[in-house]
Amino acid sequence: MRVLVVEDEAALRDTLKTRLTEAGFTVDVACDGNEALFAGQEYPLDVAIVDLGLPGLPGLEVIRRLRAARKSYPMLILTSRDNWQDKVEGLQAGADDYVTKPFHFEEVLARLQALLRRAGGWATPQLRCGPVVLDTRAQTIQVDGAPVELTTFEYRILEHLMLRAGDVISKTELTERLYDQDFERDSNVIEVLVGRLRRKLDPQDRLRPIETLRGRGYRFALPRDAAS
Amino acid sequence: MHSLSRRLLVSVSLPLALFFGVMMLVLDTGFRALSERSVQEVLDSEMVSLIAAAEPQPDGGYAPTPHELDPRLATPRSGVYAEIRSQLHQWRSPSTAGLDSDFGPLLPRSERTLTYATFGHERVAIESRAIQFEDDPNGTRGLTFSVAASVSPYEEQLWRFRRGLVGWFIGLMLLLLVTLAALLRWVLAPVRRLEREIHQVEEGRSDTLGAGYPRELSGVATNLNALLVGERKRVARYRDTLGNLAHSLKTPLAVMRSSLPAAASAGALSAEIDRMSGIIEHQLKRAAASGGALLGQAPVDVAQVAAELRGTLLRVYAGKDLSIELSVVPNAQFIGDRGDLIELLGNLLDNACKWCHGRVLLRGASHDGAAPRERLQIVVEDDGRGISAADRARVLERGVRADEKVPGHGLGLAMVRDTVEMYGGRLSIDSSPLGGASIEVRLPGR
Repeated sequence: MRVLVVEDEAALRDTLKTRLTEAGFTVDVACDGNEALFAGQEYPLDVAIVDLGLPGLPGLEVIRRLRAARKSYPMLILTSRDNWQDKVEGLQAGADDYVTKPFHFEEVLARLQALLRRAGGWATPQLRCGPVVLDTRAQTIQVDGAPVELTTFEYRILEHLMLRAGDVISKTELTERLYDQDFERDSNVIEVLVGRLRRKLDPQDRLRPIETLRGRGYRFALPRDAAS
Repeated sequence: MHSLSRRLLVSVSLPLALFFGVMMLVLDTGFRALSERSVQEVLDSEMVSLIAAAEPQPDGGYAPTPHELDPRLATPRSGVYAEIRSQLHQWRSPSTAGLDSDFGPLLPRSERTLTYATFGHERVAIESRAIQFEDDPNGTRGLTFSVAASVSPYEEQLWRFRRGLVGWFIGLMLLLLVTLAALLRWVLAPVRRLEREIHQVEEGRSDTLGAGYPRELSGVATNLNALLVGERKRVARYRDTLGNLAHSLKTPLAVMRSSLPAAASAGALSAEIDRMSGIIEHQLKRAAASGGALLGQAPVDVAQVAAELRGTLLRVYAGKDLSIELSVVPNAQFIGDRGDLIELLGNLLDNACKWCHGRVLLRGASHDGAAPRERLQIVVEDDGRGISAADRARVLERGVRADEKVPGHGLGLAMVRDTVEMYGGRLSIDSSPLGGASIEVRLPGR
């Protein structure tokens, strides 16, 4: 999952970047409104965290302009003022949720995961597709009730595929969500990771959870459970 | 005496009445003196002709010769009467016939009097003179000549004059007062307009006072407008500053919080950060609240604010299957600061959403009959577990600070209570038919 952190306070920005990276996100940062606008329009983001009190372009305006540019990924507001006027304005501008400073990092993480889930059409933190269950909070996988151990990169790919189960996701998109922009991109890595995932999830090759669509990408093929 | 025009009317009509009264007195005295003088003149001329006409009579008395007698003295009850008396004799004019007339006693030598008496029903003035004729055939003796003239015609005239005077006086007085009242109406019209417009500003029907006041009042109107606009700007700037202050105080706290190692995150440091953040939040909110001043506040449409908050809360609580029903009568308006209403309803709805199982209901209505500061009624209900009697009392108790948390209902409800108190409204907590809490606030509105 690729997240943009827009925060002008360097210390807070760095901490958020570190902790989000630890939590398995690919993190882009912007330290003022104009940078945020650029990053928000140019990078393939899954979610953005926007501080309202930004120098240059105010946070609200960044959100408004990104929405006007038809960017539909969820946005989480960071606000210093715990007041409803700001919240109402923020959500009317196009944000999806807010967190008040000083926040617990766990809360930010939980809200981000909830937003991502909802953006993918999931109502609960547990993503269930047939026998495969992915818990976004605990970052665990079970197949037929048995836990499956995954590496960080494997988990990130599976989470991305399952969140948007049924959609075709290109290799490029997956790559961008695994690496920061500085890394050299090698699509072979994705093929290797998907191959390992298939073996771990489906050793007997009977579920076939991940389809390859030649030239287009991958699709998580198992139907979502109606309950979730 | 709380009305300027009443003061002016009273202060003008009192001296006016005094002036007319004195005038009346002077005129009356003058007129009476005039009529007394004319009676005197009649008496004097009658006296002179009576003395001239008096002739000694064979019986020893005196009487005027009949052909020289004033015809009025010859006609009964003509209003002019005469008498000539001596010790032994008495002559009375024929005009006294049938009248109970008494001209007074015989006068001592060379005396002269003017008296008043009543002949029958007629008031008369009597002039008497003591006379001695040197050529009196019966020797020198004292005679008293008396002439009486009825004063009734003069008195009648006097009364007619007085009636006329009073009539004119009252008429003029009324005319003056009516003119004065009309003038006052015209002169004070701008003052009344000022009063009306201030009232409108108070009720939130307009932002500022209009233009076009006369020179003497335009200064007041302009300054009042400047004050209203300045106050609004000041509040806006103040809030802006407080927002910046919150930002610069809380961002370092956020940095501290997020740089805590995970193990210490639930520890003492984290609790202190929470406490500091709570204090900052509470104090800044108190400072930012408008203070419940009603002057120059535009009325706020309750339905619109509620709808905006509903949209926000449905997104915030997207993970919870809940419905927020709004039932606000059209045109229910809050008179006060929009920000205050948003905070108040936001807190109430947020609490309800937090604690409900699935239903939140907001009702809004205005009651024209209620006290001015309790006209707007807003009730927020939910189907959660409600608020216990002990907690209710704790929330409603005065003097409990908002940052002393009410378990389960956080800062929200105490902030609501503070805001309601600031506006002089009322807050009550009850059980809802839905099963949870029902919180009613009464606020200035219409």
